[in-house]
Amino acid sequence: MARIQLLLVAVVVILLACLPLVIEKDSTLNLLVLILLFIIMASSWNILGGFTGQTSLGHAAFFGLGSLATRLLWIQGFPLLPSLLAGGGLAVVFALVIGIPAFKLKGVYFAIGTLALGQILFVTVGNLFPTISALPVEALRTYQLAPRYYLFLVLTILTVGFAYLLANSRVGLGMMAVREDEDAAEALGVNARRHKLLALVFSAFLAGMAGSAFAYYHVSYYYQFPFAPIWSFDTLTMVYIGGQGTIIGPIVGAIFFVLLREFLVLNVGEYHLIVFGVLFILVVLFLPGGFVEAWEKIRNLLVRRRSKRDRNASTTA
Amino acid sequence: MLKLENINAYYGDLQALWGISLDVNEGELVALVGPNGAGKTTTLKVIAGLLAPAAGLVEFRGQDLLKKSVHQIVSLGISQVPEGGRIFPGMTVLENLELGAFVPEARKAKDQTLQSVYKSYPILEERSDQLAGTLSGGERQMLAIGRALMSKPRLLVLDEPSFGLAPILVDQMFVMITEINKQGVTVLLVEQNVRAALEVAHRSYVIENGEIVGEGTGVDLLSFESIRSAYLG
Repeated sequence: MARIQLLLVAVVVILLACLPLVIEKDSTLNLLVLILLFIIMASSWNILGGFTGQTSLGHAAFFGLGSLATRLLWIQGFPLLPSLLAGGGLAVVFALVIGIPAFKLKGVYFAIGTLALGQILFVTVGNLFPTISALPVEALRTYQLAPRYYLFLVLTILTVGFAYLLANSRVGLGMMAVREDEDAAEALGVNARRHKLLALVFSAFLAGMAGSAFAYYHVSYYYQFPFAPIWSFDTLTMVYIGGQGTIIGPIVGAIFFVLLREFLVLNVGEYHLIVFGVLFILVVLFLPGGFVEAWEKIRNLLVRRRSKRDRNASTTA
Repeated sequence: MLKLENINAYYGDLQALWGISLDVNEGELVALVGPNGAGKTTTLKVIAGLLAPAAGLVEFRGQDLLKKSVHQIVSLGISQVPEGGRIFPGMTVLENLELGAFVPEARKAKDQTLQSVYKSYPILEERSDQLAGTLSGGERQMLAIGRALMSKPRLLVLDEPSFGLAPILVDQMFVMITEINKQGVTVLLVEQNVRAALEVAHRSYVIENGEIVGEGTGVDLLSFESIRSAYLG
């Protein structure tokens, strides 16, 4: 990474770390938490879908399992950190259990398989835990937003940092080769199954940790809620809009999505769903690389125009 | 160096190879020619470890390949260029080449190998940051071969390298293959372009309906009446 980029990242992180000191409105901080949550989710999905090419439509399952394990343990009085890690751990266990049969399916069948698994968990958890999970009175009395915000911030930094290191590693290179052409990758000595399974495990752990943080953050919700398919589809939409297979794409996508949704919900209410549906279709049809691709196209155009102008200038001179 | 003995192979119930035997000696350039559907690619799949034969023996430098996984076979020094090159279009030229050196043995010498590949094919260095999908047909095939060379193969296996190339590029491709062989890499070449393959190869096998029906030096086979009438018109 160029030094200037590193500096930019450091400045952004410091600014984000200082925000709770200056922001007094809880609603603003809640919005930031939501953005950070979706950056983690989108980056996690991107490792499996963007880097490795395995489109998951059931990412809510990992998010939900993370939240479930953490919530149950933490409310019972377990210390916070082990409770959080248990959430990520449960998601990984589930990923390993489903990964071995699921990767017998390819392409669209894998996507349908994950969708089915996600729905099964959603319904099952709804039946097993039909109640609302509310924080105990004692926890409510001492509830503070800032520690939640910092937890999400730390997780976001770790997730994005991990995705960056992965993308530039040998394992990451192998994952992308599997995405591009599984048979050709195998012929070069890339163990496709192992790379897909690794991507699923990384992805599940990070989404599970997002769920764990959600369980620590949210005051009261149905146990079933984090398993809802909307978590899968929102996440996927963000990655597509931002640019899959890149580091910055899921970040930009998550920020754009959450802010635009906030704006639309306030102004057009339920119609916001239509806006995102149309946006998603437009991106898939005309801009499969998302905002990242759009930015590169614009930059190339500018560079070309500038070099053309320079050429013209030199010929007239 | 490479030895196949009495290979029988099936796709489901369908027998594709009937007692295939062939040898490739160190330093040779051997061609395996024959019409579409004769079993050429199937033979290569057996060598690469992608298809387990029902009977027979595959040995490489004295080691039993049938007991090895695909990546172990790559590590032993057999590198395949699949039909059509099968480069990774959404990745850069450099990333494609790095993937060629994916197995640990090749990875150690990666930078050095990369320099020698760039020296042989300067166009790849020029385009190293470009997405492989933006290359022309000839450049893609060059990248596919460069990628295979990145694993520092002892044996380079090429499946239809002239496939889909313009006639002038086909000639260049065969020159490239001869040069690689002269630098000490043993080559097994599978081709439908029989005349060109027989001309560059030291020895050739003719395969038909899953059986080896002829063997000899290129010149011998070119004068074979059946080969002339069947493939050269």
